Parts: sequence; structure tokens; C-alpha cells
Amino acid sequence: MKRPEKISPVRLLPAILLFLAVILVGCGAGDESEEQPAAIDGEGISVEGSWVRPARAGRMSAGYFLITNFEDVDDTLTGISSGAAELTEIHESYEREEGMMGMREVPELTIPAQSTVTFEPGGLHIMFIQVSQSIEEGDQVEVTLHFANYGDLAVELPVRQ
Amino acid sequence: MIFPTFKVFLSKIFVLLFLSTVFTGCENEVKDDFNDVSIDLVDQNGDPFNFPADLKGQPVLMGFVYINCPDICSFITANLYKVYSEMGEPEDIHFIVATFDPERDTPEELKHYASMFNMDQPPFRFLTGSPDQVDALMERVGVRTDVSYTKETDDGEELYFMNHSDKILLIDQNAQLIFDYGGSMTPTNILIEDLEKL
Ligand SMILES: [Cu+2]
Repeated sequence: MKRPEKISPVRLLPAILLFLAVILVGCGAGDESEEQPAAIDGEGISVEGSWVRPARAGRMSAGYFLITNFEDVDDTLTGISSGAAELTEIHESYEREEGMMGMREVPELTIPAQSTVTFEPGGLHIMFIQVSQSIEEGDQVEVTLHFANYGDLAVELPVRQ
Repeated sequence: MIFPTFKVFLSKIFVLLFLSTVFTGCENEVKDDFNDVSIDLVDQNGDPFNFPADLKGQPVLMGFVYINCPDICSFITANLYKVYSEMGEPEDIHFIVATFDPERDTPEELKHYASMFNMDQPPFRFLTGSPDQVDALMERVGVRTDVSYTKETDDGEELYFMNHSDKILLIDQNAQLIFDYGGSMTPTNILIEDLEKL
């Protein structure tokens, strides 16, 4: 008569290792796809999460993104240019007095060392004044960011609502 | 001795119940009543619209914008759409966007603006009108505006921007103001919760 053999932990070891390896590889892949930009582009200036609102020709649009300065020194965004509009400016919406909103031009913007500055609805935005032709969902808007230290950075911003 | 105490206890409960009913009622306390005006406007299709007569019978969520304001105002307009979509696209609520820049924001321009937000369809209506009537509306609902600065473009055209109140109004079936929110910053779940009480 044969009793079922007890499986010793040692015999299971290869299986456990294999199992762990699969888990770790799985996690690694996940992390890679999520954190790739931050982990790899660890120098210079990077722009992420960009988008632009649709607008009709002759009207205004706003663009948003995150600018990260990986360098150890502050940089200054001195301007933004684009062929997509008559004028392209760095803007900021602000509460002028209680409950009253306005927006104003920001002549230049410091991007502190090792930090991210967020352009988002209700705050900093790229202001496209009189877009040259209608921009619609699915289009890309080309802009060039001018930095005092880093120089020019050309980016394409996707259009969505 | 037990009975009187019990009676006091019961009466206390009734008082509490009564008070809670009263206070629940107060949640929808009316802040203003727009039935004292009749303002003739026009929607994005050129159809006449009277404020507040054409709003009555359904709750209303109403925002105030001008088209040349791609940041805050787009945010307000998009917020109304968000409420509509998060509520499961109700047809029995008026979603209204009114411009305070009638010189530039004609019905035709509003129609394009509405379609960019996928809002050129019922139950959304985009309102403009003669400058006099639009001013009367803004004054009545407490939306303040002024020209903030002007800018000359390369082709010599003068452009103006505006400072303005950032508002969304919740108005009930009887054209009475229930609440007035910061239009761009109020989370949609708060708007939805308050709409559902009406
Ligand atoms: Cu702006």
C-alpha cells in the first residue's frame, strides 16, 4: 500500500522560484510602462500629459501640460511660439477679487530645479490667440517652448475636449 | 411615574421629528426668485428664449461664459456636460449656457461653440441676445463683467478680454434660485446631489 507522498518544501522550491519570477517580471513590466518617462528621461526638460482644446479659426484655445526640469539649476520658460495661432502666450487664470475671474499674461515662468510645473484648467495655460485654422479633436498642435538655459523644445500637443 | 416620563420622551421624539422635517425643507431654501423679470433672448438656433418663462417646469443648471475665454469658461461649459453625462443624460433638466459677450457671441458662433463640446443638442441651450437684454440678465442673476485688457494683433485688430463672475446657478422648477456655485471649481458630484433634491 502506497501512502500519498508528503511533498517536501525543498522539492517545491523550483516551482516557488518560478512562480516568484513570473510575478516579478509581471510587476516589472507594469512599472516600466507607467514610470518610463520619469525614470529614463532624467535630464533636461520634459513635457508630459499635454492637450489642447478644440477651437474655431479666429478664436482662442488653451493648452495644458506638465513641464519637468530634471536639472540641478532653475530654468526659465521665456516664451512659447506656434504657427497655429496669431499669438501664443503663457497665461494664467486668477481670481481678481472674490468670485471674479480674469486671466493675465505671464511674461516668463521659472521652472525650479528638480521640479514639475503644472499647466491646468483654471490656472496656468498656453493661450492661443486667434487660431489660424480650426483645430479639432484628433489634430496635433506644434509648439516650441523657449527656455533660458535648455534652449528650444519642440512638442506636439494632441487636441481633445 | 413611568407613564409621564414616557409621554415626555414621546413628545420629545415628535419635536425632533418635526424639527428634522423643517430643516430638511430648509435645504432647498429659496435664495432668489426670478419671476419678477421677463428677458427676451435667443438661443444658438436663433429661436427666441424668455428668461425665466422658458425655464419653468424643470430644474435648471445655468452657467455664464464668453467664447474667447478658453480656460475658465471652457471649464464651466464642460462642467455642465459632465453633470449631464454623470447623471445618465437626463432630458428633464435644462442645461443652459449664457454668454455675457453678445457683440461677438452671436447665435451662429454659439452653435459652433456648443458643437465643440458635443452640446449642440437638447437639453442644452446656449443663449445670447441684444446687449441690453444680456446686460439685464447678467445684472438680475448677479454676474459681473468688465473688460480686463485689450490686445492688438498683428493685423491691427483690437481684441478684448473680460473679467467675470465664475458661476453656475441651480434654479428650481419655479424659476427660484436654490444655489449659486463657483462655476469652474465646484465638483460635479455636489451639483448632482443638489439637482437630485429638486
Ligand atoms: Cu488665457
